[in-house]
Amino acid sequence: MTPAISVTGLTRRYRDHTALQDVNLAITGGTIAGLLGRNGAGKTTLLRILAGQEFPSSGSVRVLGAPPAENEDVLRHLVFVREDQVYPEIKVGQALRAASWFYPNWNAALASSLQDDFGLRADKAVKKLSRGQRSALGITIGLAARAEVTLFDEPYAGLDAVARQVFYDRLLADFAQFPRTVLLSTHLIDEAAALFDGVVVIDRGRVVLDAAADDLRGVATRVSGPCLAVDALAEGRPVWERRGLGSQASVVMVGRLSPEDRERARSSGLDLTPLSLQQIVVRAAAGVVAPAPEAGFETERTSA
Amino acid sequence: MNAWVKVARYNLMRPANYLVLPWVLPFAFAVGAVTAGRERGNDASGYLLSFFAYFAVLGMQTIGQSLPFGLTLGASRRSFYSGTALLGLALALLSGLVLTALQAIERATGGWGLSMQFFRVPYLLNGAWYATWLTAAVGLFAVFVYGMWYGIVYNRWGLLGTVAFIAAQALVIVAGVVVATSGHWHALTALGLTGVIAALTVLLLAGGHATIRRATV
Repeated sequence: MTPAISVTGLTRRYRDHTALQDVNLAITGGTIAGLLGRNGAGKTTLLRILAGQEFPSSGSVRVLGAPPAENEDVLRHLVFVREDQVYPEIKVGQALRAASWFYPNWNAALASSLQDDFGLRADKAVKKLSRGQRSALGITIGLAARAEVTLFDEPYAGLDAVARQVFYDRLLADFAQFPRTVLLSTHLIDEAAALFDGVVVIDRGRVVLDAAADDLRGVATRVSGPCLAVDALAEGRPVWERRGLGSQASVVMVGRLSPEDRERARSSGLDLTPLSLQQIVVRAAAGVVAPAPEAGFETERTSA
Repeated sequence: MNAWVKVARYNLMRPANYLVLPWVLPFAFAVGAVTAGRERGNDASGYLLSFFAYFAVLGMQTIGQSLPFGLTLGASRRSFYSGTALLGLALALLSGLVLTALQAIERATGGWGLSMQFFRVPYLLNGAWYATWLTAAVGLFAVFVYGMWYGIVYNRWGLLGTVAFIAAQALVIVAGVVVATSGHWHALTALGLTGVIAALTVLLLAGGHATIRRATV
């Protein structure tokens, strides 16, 4: 099966910096992937290229099997919701109406129920919307378009926690009914973690982690407790980080724990906390995690 | 619905711009009516230029304002450009018709009772109704496309690029003046000039199309 999104050797250079450097990526159709990374890592540039709004300097990009740039056969099956979308001087209702013309799978009922959920008034000028309301408009278009490839770039900037939950719930509910390929860039990693089938982390224009979310869950554990017991359990395993305070120590240990490990930890009074996706991403962005976790994690730094 | 038509309809969603459009005319007309006859002659047709200038602004705005969301909606640059140009053409034809009608009224009322010449531009818009319509429509469409091209150049190369674009045209204008002062010019009828403008419009269309192909939002 060909991936819905496939990127090979993609580089985007601007006059004074390189936004993307030799990016290789394949997103399987019918999955939700998280595109994570720091500000300025290249997430938006990558999404803009996928949506045909920007051009690569070199490399190849295929969406639904064809290059997206200037290709309406691809573009009508692709929706891109961007944080910094510039709208003309139109009203909310007009923006939705225009979207309904362009997307063949547009669902008006879904759009109006999202409008209700977000309290988005159709007669309000887009320019007069608050930041959160503007995000709500983007989300409404992105979900109601029911496009085979749905790209969200920080879709909920300025949205409150309740509205964000509405977004997650509606995305999952509609995704279950109409599966599609979703690539979602966000900084609220732990909040969105449950959505992701796959996770791509980019840092300074390079992919530093590309893994299935299931492979990342429980892949690293923070072990804390008495020094000797911690060291005994961690012995012979890769360790990302070690902190000590008197007789107590805390290490981040890489690798899955066997039932015996857990039993040992319990009997020596050790506290085990699986590392959250966000913490893994932070380490990936710092260059600690190797791009392919299934090939085994590399330990590049062991701090005492 | 054809992609071009969708783009044209999407552009038409900014009613303010298209409502302002006809209002330029009465304002310019009022100024013309007040000032006509104060000097020798009653020719106020220069004010009609404001109508054409507004068309250039309209063309420019379609790029700066409508292009980003247009591409987000999945229109290709090609469709956006063609659809917008199509809208410009329709507006030009319609506005040309209005100008033609107003010119007929001006003729019938002896220059609005003031012997004023507003819709009768000497040489250019002063012939039969169909000639006026054709010349006005071609002229309006030309400045609309010209405005679009400015918008695209600004999108791609910013202020410096736009200045360079203007500078480059200075050369074209110099060349134009050389041609105009050469003897052949005087042989050209108003309709012939319309033909020249139409040919220029085709060049402008091609230039804008070549420039928008690599525009980014």
